[in-house]
Amino acid sequence: MDINSLGVPLALLGAALAALLAGIGSAIGVGIAGEAAAGVVTEDPSKFGKVLVLQLLPGTQGIYGLLIAFLTLANIGVLGGDPSQVTFAKGLLYFFACLPMAFVGLWSAKHQARASVASIGLVAKKPEQFGKSMILPAMVETYAVLALLVSLLAVANIGKLPL
Amino acid sequence: MAVVAMQRISILALKQHRKGILEKLQRCGVVEITASNCEDSVFSRMDTNESQRLFEKNVDIAGRALDILDRYAPEKKPLLSMFSGRSPLTAKQYYQFAQRAEECTRAANRVVALQKNVDENQAEIARLDSQLEALRPWMKLDISMRFSGTRATAAFVGQLPGQQTEEMILQAVAQQEPELNKLGVEIVSASPEQTCVVILCPLCDKARVDEILRAMGFAKPSAPSRETPKQRAQELQRKRDAAQQEIDAAQEEISSNANRREDFRLTADYNAMRAERYQVLGELAQSKHTFLVTGYIPQKAASSLAQCLAEKYEAYVELQQPDEKEDTPVLLKNNAFAAPVEPVLESYSLPGKGEVDPCSVMAIFYYVLFGMMLSDAAYGLIMVLFCAFALHKYQNMESGMRKTLQMFLYGGISTIFWGVMFGSYFGDAITVVSQTFFQTEITIPPLWFTPSEEPMRLLVFSFLLGIVHLFTGLGMLFYQDVKQKKYKDAIYDVIFWYLLVGGGILYLLSVEMATSMLGLGFVLPAGVGTVAGLCAIVGAVGIVATAGRESRNPLKRLLKGLYGLYNVSGYLSDILSYSRLLALGLATGVIASVFNQMGGMVGGGVLGAVVFILVFVIGHTLNIGINLLGAYVHTNRLQYVEFFGKFYSGGGRKFAPFGAKTKYYKMQEDERYENK
Repeated sequence: MDINSLGVPLALLGAALAALLAGIGSAIGVGIAGEAAAGVVTEDPSKFGKVLVLQLLPGTQGIYGLLIAFLTLANIGVLGGDPSQVTFAKGLLYFFACLPMAFVGLWSAKHQARASVASIGLVAKKPEQFGKSMILPAMVETYAVLALLVSLLAVANIGKLPL
Repeated sequence: MAVVAMQRISILALKQHRKGILEKLQRCGVVEITASNCEDSVFSRMDTNESQRLFEKNVDIAGRALDILDRYAPEKKPLLSMFSGRSPLTAKQYYQFAQRAEECTRAANRVVALQKNVDENQAEIARLDSQLEALRPWMKLDISMRFSGTRATAAFVGQLPGQQTEEMILQAVAQQEPELNKLGVEIVSASPEQTCVVILCPLCDKARVDEILRAMGFAKPSAPSRETPKQRAQELQRKRDAAQQEIDAAQEEISSNANRREDFRLTADYNAMRAERYQVLGELAQSKHTFLVTGYIPQKAASSLAQCLAEKYEAYVELQQPDEKEDTPVLLKNNAFAAPVEPVLESYSLPGKGEVDPCSVMAIFYYVLFGMMLSDAAYGLIMVLFCAFALHKYQNMESGMRKTLQMFLYGGISTIFWGVMFGSYFGDAITVVSQTFFQTEITIPPLWFTPSEEPMRLLVFSFLLGIVHLFTGLGMLFYQDVKQKKYKDAIYDVIFWYLLVGGGILYLLSVEMATSMLGLGFVLPAGVGTVAGLCAIVGAVGIVATAGRESRNPLKRLLKGLYGLYNVSGYLSDILSYSRLLALGLATGVIASVFNQMGGMVGGGVLGAVVFILVFVIGHTLNIGINLLGAYVHTNRLQYVEFFGKFYSGGGRKFAPFGAKTKYYKMQEDERYENK
C-alpha cells in the first residue's frame, strides 16, 4: 500500500477533530450558560437580551472549529479539487495544524461558559454592569482566538510547502 | 467633545412658589438635586415618605390596570415597537390631565378591584365544582347524608373502598360476627374506587356494626349535607351560576375600560412624577416661609434657568464653580460622530477626576475595528439600511437606543468599507451564483487583497493597527498628564514606553529573520536598527529608574522599577491580542462561503435555485447574528482592555438630574436641555 494514500485520511481526521472537539466544547458551554440564563429570565424576562448575549459567548469556538475544518477540507481538495496531491507528510501536517483549535476550542469553551454563568449572575443583580460582564468571558476567548490563529496560519500555508 | 462643565446651583424662594418651581425643574430635567443636610433652628426637612408611598402605590395600580386590560383586550404591538420610545407630552397636556388625574386613578383602582373580584369568584367556582364532584356518587340517595337512624335503628351513610355488592358486605359482616343478622344494606353507587352505601341496623347493634365497618375501611362523607344530595347539588349550582354571572359582569366592565389605556398610562406617569417630586421635597431644606434647592446644573443651561426662575417666581438663584474635591456628577457631550460610543464608555465607567472624555478618539478606532472584524460589504449594507430605517421611522426613540443604533450605523459603514477592501459580498456569493446558475465565473476583485489568500498580510496589518491603537492610548495618558501639569509623569510613564516599545519594534524590523517571518518585503537598514535599539535601551533604563519612584527605599525602588520593565510582556500580549481582527474577519468570510457552497451543492435549475435561496437566507442571517455579536464583544474588549488599560480608569458618577422618570410619556419643555 502506498503510504501517501494515508495523507487525506490523516488530514480529514484533523479537520474532523477540529469541528468535533471545538463543537462539543461550545455545545457544552452554551448549554451551561443557557441554564443560568433561563434562571435569570424566570425572575426578570426583560433581561433576556442581555443574558442571551452572554449565553452565546462560548458558542464561537464551535464556529472557529468549523472554520478550520472547512479550510482544511478545501485545501486538501475534498470539496472539489485533487486530493491525490496530499502526501503522507502533508496529511500529518494538516492533522497537527488542526490540533490547537480542537483542544483549545474544547477547553476554552467550557471554561468560558463558567465565566459566562458568573457574568449572567452579575447581570441578574446589576444589569447596568452589562459591559463589564461581557468582557470577563471574552478574556477567555482570547486563547481560542490565538489557537484559531495558529491553526489558520498553519493550514493556509501547508499547501505551499515542498513536501 | 468632552465632559460638560457643571456648576453648583442654589435656589432660594418663597414657599408659595414651591409647587411651580419644582414642577418647572422637573420638566426641565437639568438639575441634579443634592439632599440638603442643613438642619438648624431655621431650616428643617419635611417628612414626605407617606405621600411618596401613596403616589407610588397609584403608579403600581395604574400599571396593574394596564396589565389587566392587556389580558382582556390585547393591544397589537408592531414588530419593532422596542425602538419606538415614549411619546412626547407637552406641559399643556400635562396640566389638562392633572385635572382628570383623580378620576382616572379611581378608574384604575376600579379595574384592579374588579379583577380581584373575578379572581375570587373563579376560586369560588373551582371550590363549588369540587363539591359538586364529591356529591355526584350520592345523587340517588333521597335522604340527608347526615341521617343517623330512627328511634329503633342506627344508620351508617358513607363509602367503602373498592367495588362491592350488598351480598359481599353482608357476607363480610357475617364472617366477623354471625349473630348480627338484622342488617339492611343499600348500595347508592359503586365504582372501582369506592362504593357508597347506606347500612341500617338495630340501635342495640350500633357499636359492633360500627367497629366491623371501620375495620372494612368505612368512611363517612367528607362534607355531608343536611338536605338530600339532589337539593344540595341544586343549591351549589345556583351559587356557581351567581359567581359566574358576577365574573361576566366584572369582565364586561373591565373590557369597557379598554379604550382608557391612554388615561391609565398618563395616570401612571403623572403619579410617578408626583412621587419623584415628593421625594425631592423631602430632601429640601425648608424654613417657615422659604425653601432652598441645592444641586448641580450644566453650565450651559444654568443662566437661562436662573433667569426664568428669577423672573417667574422671584427666586434668588446663586451659581458657583464646584470645588476640585467635590464629587461633581459627569455628563458627556460629543458630536454626532463620537456620541454613539458614549453608551460603550458608560458601561465601562464614566471619566473620573482629571480624566478626559475619550469618546472622540475611541469612536474612530471603534468603527474601524468593528468594520474589520465583520468585513463584509453586504452585511454592512444590511446593517446600515436597518439602522437608518429604524432611526428615521422612530423619531421618539430613547437616546440610549438611538446612540446604539447610530453606533451600528457607523459600524456598518465601516463594515462596507472593509468588505470592499477585502472583496467580500455575502462571502463569495457572487462567484458561487454565477458558477452554479450561469456557468460563468464572475468575481468582484478586492480593492486591496483577499485575506483568506494572504492571511499573514492581514495579520501584520492587524498588529500595526494594534500598535497605533495602543500608542494612541499612551498619547491620551500624555495629554492627561500634561493637562494636569504632571510633566514628569508624562515623561516617565509615556515617553519612556514610546522609546522602549517603538524602538524595540523598529529594531525588530531591521533584523532580517523577523521581517521574513512576518512576510514583509523590506528590512530596515542596520543604522536605523542601531538607533532604534539605543532608543529602546534608553527607554528601558528610564523605566527601571522611574517606575518605582513612589518608594523611598532604593532597593524597593529598583525592584519596582524592574517589575515595571516586566510590563513589556504586557505590550507583547496586547499587540498579539489584535490578531483577533484577522481571526474574526476570516471567520465571517469563511462561514459565509461555507453556506454559499452548501446552497450551491444541489446545482442549477429551479430546484437548485429554491434550495440556494433557502440556505442563503437562513445561513447568512445566522452568520450576521453570530459575527455581529462577535464583532461587538471583541471591539469592546479591545477598547476596554487594551486601549483603556493604557490611560483610563474611570470612576465618575453619572449626572442624574431631577426629571420625569416616566414609563410611557416623555415630558417636553422648550428650554429642555437636551444632550444630543
